[in-house]
Amino acid sequence: MTLNSSRYILRETVNSMKRNPWLSIASVITVMVSLVILGFSIFFLANASNMAESFESELEIATFVQDNATSSQVDALRNQILEMPGVASVTLVTKEEALQDFGKTLGGTQSNLLADLGGRNPFPDKLTVKATDPQNVVALAEVVAALPEVDKVRYGQGFVDQLLKFTQWLRWIGFGVVAAFSVAAIVLISINVKMNVFSRRREIQIMKLVGASNGFIRWPFLIEGLALGLVGGAMAAGIVGMGYNSIAMYVLSKLTFLPVVQNAVLFRQVTFGLLLSGMAMGALGSAISLQKFLRA
Amino acid sequence: MIQLTNVSKIYPNGARALVDVNLKIGKGDFVFLVGPSGAGKSTLIRLLYREESPTRGQVQINSKNLVRMKEREVPYLRRNIGVIFQDFKLLPNKTVFENVAFALEVIGVVKREVRSRTRATLELVGLASKETSYPHELSGGEQQRVCVARAIINNPALLVADEPTGNLDPDTAWDIMDLLYNINKRGTTIVMATHAKSIVNKMQKRVIAIENGKVARDEEKGGYGYDT
Repeated sequence: MTLNSSRYILRETVNSMKRNPWLSIASVITVMVSLVILGFSIFFLANASNMAESFESELEIATFVQDNATSSQVDALRNQILEMPGVASVTLVTKEEALQDFGKTLGGTQSNLLADLGGRNPFPDKLTVKATDPQNVVALAEVVAALPEVDKVRYGQGFVDQLLKFTQWLRWIGFGVVAAFSVAAIVLISINVKMNVFSRRREIQIMKLVGASNGFIRWPFLIEGLALGLVGGAMAAGIVGMGYNSIAMYVLSKLTFLPVVQNAVLFRQVTFGLLLSGMAMGALGSAISLQKFLRA
Repeated sequence: MIQLTNVSKIYPNGARALVDVNLKIGKGDFVFLVGPSGAGKSTLIRLLYREESPTRGQVQINSKNLVRMKEREVPYLRRNIGVIFQDFKLLPNKTVFENVAFALEVIGVVKREVRSRTRATLELVGLASKETSYPHELSGGEQQRVCVARAIINNPALLVADEPTGNLDPDTAWDIMDLLYNINKRGTTIVMATHAKSIVNKMQKRVIAIENGKVARDEEKGGYGYDT
């Protein structure tokens, strides 16, 4: 490609974008919308899996001891669990402590609480078991539950399962929405390019007649599609970047306990990915409308 | 230079435009294609610059086989063939100069060379003074000169013309024929489909008559041969 040809191609690209400004704008906006959704979906999913991970790592097994167990039996049970492989720590909360804690949450009259409950402490002794690896929680919980002195165990598996299920759903919905918008964007770009091909059909006919190569004829249209996609991608990257940043700031200041992903590498990857996706949409759109007309 | 061997062209709708045509045209020849409308003249012309390919048979130009030619080689064939049309096919939003220069620009000729060669070619067709005019400001004859200029600017070995005088009055038509005559004198082979009886009769060139897709007559220094 000579410098001379490049200049011609660039000029034609700009001209054809000027020819259908509204269609160009519509194409750019559709690309942008689809990529904004894609970008936010990625960040949302990153956060959801991050959240699931951090909850998983805090997973504990609450082990409730049989009501008739003596305190020496409870101590023996505690030591037995502590010696199991994969156990990080075991903390005992006696039924008396549990009652006291409950009293504290009610406030005030805890001295009468036992009497108010009919002289019978409804709380069992509880052993809080922490696993060394969150992956082992389920297996460990089953082993502990099978011990004769153990009444029942409870752990956060249900919540984590639901969170993961939710992110799975979200992934599919996000994928569907992004796919629908991408198709719309590609179709719009291809209409855009096709209209420019149509409005320049005489020129193209003469170009082919005097021996312009197909590549030379195609380039301006291909670049036009690429440019439309790139502009849409850049706008999406800007919106997603700034939008996510301000959301993250807000969440960090208001909901301090939530783990928010602020990963510079992920940030750069998403920006780069959005630009690339935009260009890919543009190239695809152009290619669709160009493959037909240059064959004859 | 041009050789057609057993060429048939049948269109998808079943129309048999050319039937088993054999033809040889030498380098530097000036050939008229005559015959009734729809006899296959235009199809034959289009085969020469590979706007179309034959259904059967071979088309060769300068010993290059146009039927076996790959799609990406076609542009390079066309750079060596000039084409002139009845309706000129000029770009209305470009000036005379730009229309002619366009043929060089799109094959990547450098700017300075584009300018000098365009000037020289416009001089040759007698339009040097009109280079900043737009096509709609020109007469039919002048527009056809622009079309000729665009066709010959690459110094093609072959110039094909499909009724180049069809839209012109007799005097103007003769101006164009003078131009083509001079181009042919410089060694360019010319194949021209026409209905212009007086031109064919007066020029005394080779005449090939096509009827019902077949070569009905082929004579050196021939006449038009039809009463119209």
